[in-house]
Amino acid sequence: MLGEMENPDTSPENEPTSSNNAAESEATTIVGLPQTDPSEEQEEILLQDETIDLDADNFESEENVTLSEDSGNLLDKLNEQMMESVLISDSPNISEDDGGDVGCLQDIVDEIDSSETLGLDRITAKEYNEQVDNTNGTEHDISPDDSGAETLTMTNDFMQQQDLPLVEESVELQGEHKEELVTPSSKSSPPDETIPVCTIFSHSNSQQSFLIHDGFESQMVKSPSFGTEMRNAVKAQTQVVQPSPSLSNFFSDNGTTNSSAADFFDSFTTSSTFISVSNPNAAPGAPEHGSAPITPETTQDPVGFFVANKSLDPSASSASVEVPQSPKPFSQIHSVFAGSDDPFATALNMSEMDRRNDAWLPSEETRNILLSVATQQYNPVFIDKEKLTMPGLKFDNIQGDAVRELMLRFLGEQAAMKRQVLTANSVEQTFLGLKQLLNSKNWRAAVDLSGRLLNAHGQGYGKSGQPTNHTTDSLQLWFLRLSLLVKLGLFQNAEMEFEPFKNLDQPDLYYEYYPHVYPGRRGSMVPFSMRILHAELRQYLGCPQESLDRLHSMKTICIKILDNLEKGFAEDGSMITMTNSNRQASVQLWRSRLGRVMYSMANCLLMMKDYVLAVDAYHTVIKYYPEQEPQLLSGIGRIFLQIGDIKTAEKYFQDVEKVIQNLVNKDESHNKIIVLMNRAFLHLGQNNFSEAHKFFTEVLTLDPTNTVANNNAAVCLLYLGKLKDSLRHLEGLVQQDPKHYLHESVLFNLTTMYELESSRSMQKKQALLEAVAVKEGDSFNTQCLKLL
Amino acid sequence: MDVNQPKQEHLLALKVMRLTKPTLFTNIPVTCEERDLPGDLFNNLMREDPSTVKGAEILMLGEMLTLPQNFGNIFLGETFSSYISVHNDSTQTVKDIQVKADLQTSSQRLNLSASSAVVSELKPDSCIDDVIHHEVKEIGTHILVCAVSYTTQTGEKMYFRKFFKFQVLKPLDVKTKFYNAESDLSSVTDEVFLEAQIQNITTSPMFMEKVSLEPSIMYNVSELNSVVKSGEGLSTFGSKTYLQPLDTRQYLYCLKPKPEFAEKAGVIKGVTVIGKLDIVWKTNLGERGRLQTSQLQRMAPGYGDVRLSLETIPDTVSLEEPFDITCKITNCSERTMDLILEMCNTSSIHWCGVSGRQLGKLHPSSSLFLTLSLLSSVQGLQSVSGLRLTDTFLKRTYEYDDIAQVCVVSSTIQVAS
Repeated sequence: MLGEMENPDTSPENEPTSSNNAAESEATTIVGLPQTDPSEEQEEILLQDETIDLDADNFESEENVTLSEDSGNLLDKLNEQMMESVLISDSPNISEDDGGDVGCLQDIVDEIDSSETLGLDRITAKEYNEQVDNTNGTEHDISPDDSGAETLTMTNDFMQQQDLPLVEESVELQGEHKEELVTPSSKSSPPDETIPVCTIFSHSNSQQSFLIHDGFESQMVKSPSFGTEMRNAVKAQTQVVQPSPSLSNFFSDNGTTNSSAADFFDSFTTSSTFISVSNPNAAPGAPEHGSAPITPETTQDPVGFFVANKSLDPSASSASVEVPQSPKPFSQIHSVFAGSDDPFATALNMSEMDRRNDAWLPSEETRNILLSVATQQYNPVFIDKEKLTMPGLKFDNIQGDAVRELMLRFLGEQAAMKRQVLTANSVEQTFLGLKQLLNSKNWRAAVDLSGRLLNAHGQGYGKSGQPTNHTTDSLQLWFLRLSLLVKLGLFQNAEMEFEPFKNLDQPDLYYEYYPHVYPGRRGSMVPFSMRILHAELRQYLGCPQESLDRLHSMKTICIKILDNLEKGFAEDGSMITMTNSNRQASVQLWRSRLGRVMYSMANCLLMMKDYVLAVDAYHTVIKYYPEQEPQLLSGIGRIFLQIGDIKTAEKYFQDVEKVIQNLVNKDESHNKIIVLMNRAFLHLGQNNFSEAHKFFTEVLTLDPTNTVANNNAAVCLLYLGKLKDSLRHLEGLVQQDPKHYLHESVLFNLTTMYELESSRSMQKKQALLEAVAVKEGDSFNTQCLKLL
Repeated sequence: MDVNQPKQEHLLALKVMRLTKPTLFTNIPVTCEERDLPGDLFNNLMREDPSTVKGAEILMLGEMLTLPQNFGNIFLGETFSSYISVHNDSTQTVKDIQVKADLQTSSQRLNLSASSAVVSELKPDSCIDDVIHHEVKEIGTHILVCAVSYTTQTGEKMYFRKFFKFQVLKPLDVKTKFYNAESDLSSVTDEVFLEAQIQNITTSPMFMEKVSLEPSIMYNVSELNSVVKSGEGLSTFGSKTYLQPLDTRQYLYCLKPKPEFAEKAGVIKGVTVIGKLDIVWKTNLGERGRLQTSQLQRMAPGYGDVRLSLETIPDTVSLEEPFDITCKITNCSERTMDLILEMCNTSSIHWCGVSGRQLGKLHPSSSLFLTLSLLSSVQGLQSVSGLRLTDTFLKRTYEYDDIAQVCVVSSTIQVAS
């Protein structure tokens, strides 16, 4: 941030002269500093001029067919340059007083002047000015309280001047249509006159305005570089969405940690024993240890369907006959994650819960395929390869520990050696190990491990596009892996691996497709949360509209399922008998799922900056999650604060207070904190940082460990000019309670303040790095330390 | 100048940071259900994450404030705030420190330091802080010049400066258009309507807090941007209170000349000053900006020497059936006119009666009424055109086209309806 603020040429490194003795430095600085500066500036200006010219030309030729192009362009060009020079050189102060101090600016001016080959320009410019003063000015400057309007008006006059040749043209054109009843406000400046002004400055607008002669007068304030600057800014914004870390980092990571992983992958390619987790016949527990040879199943389809362009494999179809048991890995998950006591009750319960949770409504086409599978259980069904889901890892080793790399770079090998994090190798090669990695915030390692497990499932690196079998746990593994990629901000990677799943509606993603493996089981293998993830992913890649589309189709299905339940059917519309309590549970589940979809929609709309719809959507969310009303209303209030609509924000914050007043537990501290936080934010919106600080501190009297309040109080202190206090506050927190304060937002604020405080910010940041190394896993986002 | 000369270390370091409003941290919610592989892990992780909203972890917009991450854009009318910190990096105490912050614009140089007092001493590792504010009133290049002077322990006087350049951009595009109300017979200029199109040309949404017209002394203004419904003024812009980037909004104002000026209004010709627009907006967390346009000027409607206005005209007429219109012809000039009326047919409008008839003498500021008959041979919305008045004294012809429009329908349709 500081770097951007500083002109590169004025930053201490590149400022060779300013640090001389006081008396002399005055003179040298003036010469020295701009020496590189203006030339750069010059380039900038020229560049901008060029683009502006181009645009003007385009519009010119489109619009004024009758006008001789040469003269028009020339005039434009002249005026363009003149505007540039006039703006700077005509300002009275520069040439007159404190010549020394203005050195910088003056040099820029000089450079510009000298670059102008047409010395006459400025003289003509002044002549124009005088002429133009007589024409009535229908353009107006925006100037706060009129100060500084002098110079700006002059440039405006130029622009009128520039338009003069057009005036005659347009008057003639207009003659026929001149209205008597409603006359344009000034005859001497017909509507067309202002058009070229627009073409220079605001594009989208100009296009319209010369298509429709709307008679609007442009109220101009001129800023020569404006047009291009804007476009750049817009571009810059669209790039923001890109995920930060590049894949190449991970691919190039051929460090020591990889050796065992390589063994792992080698082992299955050379092995001749076919053991598979996904194949229900395979011996369970194969992937117990990372070093053990694990092999994926072959690319054949053990259930015995034909893929349209493959020939029948007799071994596969024979396998399908012997397939009956329930899939082991599934129960494995639950033994790990759910834990069950009574197997029989669980089994019964399970089918009820399975149906409830897995219910989904496939598209018409998919439904037909599933029906045909169900009716021809023992005959091969021809299914187009296109209709199958054939996922595979798109990158096989993502593992890397950015914290350790930074330590190597800044603190040396010795320090880096001390960094101890769990890796995919150091845990059990099962779901248990995955859970361990997740808990210790080693998500990158968890991604690795999930990759290994998928590899063992035959969906490893390079297996994309090859027919495979899906099971409950393979999809759960995919869900976990893709979630982690999203959590890590590796959206592009997630997108790549999500791609083979298409829209999550292929027939082989439903249980009905595997009648032998999952007899009697129906519904979607894809977990609901994975659908949410799939829908949300697009918005992080800059296509929120697609996210909305996906969410809307999810919403439709949720509503349909709720509708089915209401009518007394099962979720998928089939006729079954269901106990009342089961139906209730099902309605509850699907209502909350519908709410979750609405939540995602609201978030997506917020990302799209469509605030009106986002606010509406959050209001809808309140209907599904009434217990979150205070938080959601506060959130809406903050949205309005962000827009700048302080009054509406205040209204929402008052609503929150009313809602909390009516709660039974209104005196509980978390409710009081919501109220206090909102008040603090409101003061922030009113530019009253000291009051805001007061309320954030008040939160801390209720909950001294409140991370948000502590951080926000520190931020307020900075705006009050108390950098040292703010730093001390945050530093103390990070030291005392690293678990909560080593959060990227807090650390970002802290490092920003370090940079502001002294030239020795580097050491302090490195100290933070050491603290992070002790506490944080490999998923830590090192960018917030701003070390690079 | 020798660049390679080893640069002298200063004991003090100057750092500057622009203080735009902080932003709220947004997190990326990833959830799962109990039955999924991660179990409650994801949800627990989100609950423990300090940046999520407790109790509503899926809500993206958190409460954590983060400091501005880059300089950003600054727009005309906004307030430029900046933190200036002078830090003693050395191990010795420094004396007589003076920090001066000036803002150099293309036209002037402003001192922004709150106080130019000399700080008598600064201990190692301590700092002098200043937060400066300045409402930006000019567009284009601005340079913040920070100068620091101090005395070392050896009594050496030291001095250095730093320059921070930034561009001030234009936030709004304002276009205006006047409409003259053609009201009654007596007054030539009565009400004036001003339509102002305001476009947000920044890259962030903008809440328009106030857009008002400050009329000049001659006019009273009424804003036409809200609809009173059951005692409550509802904005014509609906619930959307903000302007997205590149969005444009139309504001409408009605100006009435004050009575004392109204009498003269008939005589007012040429340019009159209407007033100026005052615009106040807010962006992120209440960052405020304010602009005024320069005086809006309006050309009083020029009616030339002879004004032809319509008194009556039917809105709908039957095809090929004559209808009447009543015209009012006013002599706006200072001399007496002798007028001849010619009626020229257009492709659709056919005048009935004799063209080229004498209307007689018309004295200055007097008018005459005239009923004309015409018919249309084409269906649809037709423009009444083709009247020509010739002043025989000066041999000058005035053309009146597109005087009004009538809707022409087939006579059978009209009967049916």
